[in-house]
Amino acid sequence: MASIELSKVSKIYPNGAIGVHDLDLKIEDGEFVIFLGPSGCGKSTTLRMIAGLESLSAGEIRIGGKVVNTMAPRDRNIAVVFQSYALYPHMTVWQNMAFGIKMRGVSAGEIEKKVSDASTLLGLNELLGRKPAALSGGQRQRVALGRAIVREPQAFLLDEPLSNLDAQLRAEMRLELVKLHRRLGRTTIHVTHDQIEAMTMGDRICIMREGRLIQAGAPLDVYANPADTFVARFLASPPMNLIPATLEAHGNGALSVRIGTLALPVPDQYVSSYRTYAGKPVLFGARSEDFYETGQQPFCHPVTMKAVAVESLGAENILIGLLGESNSIEVTARLTRYFSAAIGSIATLFLDMRPMHLFDSETNKVIARPKLPVISSRAAA
Amino acid sequence: MQKIGIHLGLILACIVILLPPFWVLRTSLVPESLAYSAEFFPGFSTENYTALFGKNHFGTYYLNSIIVSSLSVALALPFAATTGYAFARFKTGGRLARFIVLATQMLPPVALVLPAFSILHSAGLTNSLTGLTLVYAALNLPFLAWILMGFFEGIPIDLEWAAMTDGTTAWGAFWRIVLPVSLPGIAAAGVLGFILSWNEFLFALVLSGPKTSTIPVALAALQTSNGVQIGKVSAGVVLAILPLVLASRFIQRFIIQGLTFGSVK
Repeated sequence: MASIELSKVSKIYPNGAIGVHDLDLKIEDGEFVIFLGPSGCGKSTTLRMIAGLESLSAGEIRIGGKVVNTMAPRDRNIAVVFQSYALYPHMTVWQNMAFGIKMRGVSAGEIEKKVSDASTLLGLNELLGRKPAALSGGQRQRVALGRAIVREPQAFLLDEPLSNLDAQLRAEMRLELVKLHRRLGRTTIHVTHDQIEAMTMGDRICIMREGRLIQAGAPLDVYANPADTFVARFLASPPMNLIPATLEAHGNGALSVRIGTLALPVPDQYVSSYRTYAGKPVLFGARSEDFYETGQQPFCHPVTMKAVAVESLGAENILIGLLGESNSIEVTARLTRYFSAAIGSIATLFLDMRPMHLFDSETNKVIARPKLPVISSRAAA
Repeated sequence: MQKIGIHLGLILACIVILLPPFWVLRTSLVPESLAYSAEFFPGFSTENYTALFGKNHFGTYYLNSIIVSSLSVALALPFAATTGYAFARFKTGGRLARFIVLATQMLPPVALVLPAFSILHSAGLTNSLTGLTLVYAALNLPFLAWILMGFFEGIPIDLEWAAMTDGTTAWGAFWRIVLPVSLPGIAAAGVLGFILSWNEFLFALVLSGPKTSTIPVALAALQTSNGVQIGKVSAGVVLAILPLVLASRFIQRFIIQGLTFGSVK
């Protein structure tokens, strides 16, 4: 097992395009880290640089404290699971799994035992004689994992390994991967653009955009305290509502968020943090789940909007409404399955102001305020 | 009714395409004296074949063709595979190198045959199968490299990356993963190279001697001052196309495999 450390790592392609820019990150021994970001953000490039499959333009990568910049992939003792699974099509499942340790000169008896152990762990015993073409997507994914496990590497690098699976299988494999990590305790980097995977699987998520690391932290912490509007919108579905507003100061020292005629009071504990922005334009951030149908919750304030659409998802209903005098601001609210509204009608919802965020309208960075305590079921477990 | 029309059209097209080779087969199996007869099948005789293998030494030429075509492909394929892989994966030489390799195929053969003769003559390899094999290998190399480059480009790079993280070198990934996976492509390229060498006439005519001639040269020699011996020519053509028909059947299977190869995932 090993820690992975990236210092000022950059990747600039010959045509000048920046793949990764000045990336600093330390992944602790045994940690499960998620690289999250949209396509082309540099997460897979970073993974490939760690694996040694792509050269660095600048910076340093250490695995287990050892600089590996010029070390060949085979000498880094890390295993990669690719999005395409990259199973060797001319080999059987057994041969695929045994290939890595065979290359390392492990004895035949040892190979037999290791492949047998891994195939039992992943339920592949029945498939060992088959070739990849005769396997389903889920089975191929397991074989790719098995091939990685057999090698007992220092770290696992998973490059969107679930993206080719259907929704149900993806949910199952998400859980399997988490269990596997708990069992093996190896340092794992999982690359994804799926925010559910990011929120549910890792100890830490690293959100990347245009080759830069935007924010790293525990999933719920990042969710509750996004560093900027990109993270706020990317790490949620539906994305966080970002509404252009003005911060208004009152005579009694209180502040409120002014959206046209609507004034939403800022909770007292944030007032001192936001005071310097009084009178200035800001972006008001409210998550869709902070809207309620009733105002029984504390810190809730009524908000009226014109219903544009109601998406029924079974377990919940998503209301898309228009806010403001000219009905020009689109807002998404996640409500219970009992909510209904006629299209075009005026709906009154109640917005919990405690999780509110304000972002600088010029830099899109969050305006710092006291953090909300994060309640994590994972930590409790 | 429309279906019948389509089928009739297809049958007609088949007849048009197949009639010439069928007529060649028919002519090869009738006595020379009746070869120009308008009758469909005026009589059966194998005299053309026996004459070819007896008096005309066709067995030797046949063997020469097989040796030269097979060895030239066997010699060119390893170089073509490594060249194609270098172009496909490492972009060696950039677009210019690719173009130069392809450009050699654009030169008229007659522009190459004299320099080839000069080189072989100074090396003492004219009138020899070795010389012809070397020339055919050189002629095939760019074409085979170009074909194989396409096959290698179709192989997902993830496979090689997986092999390299699994413990191989870049060469090891090529040898253990890329080559076995692209065998259908290599086989198809090999058969195409064989067909090219088998049919080649100009170089064989200039560079080979009476004992080292290949089938195309031997066939041309059947046009004598006494006229064309159409029965023997037909028999020679049948013999010449027989390996090609078999090779085409073989290559068809591999080309289809090659085309569906992309479904590695």
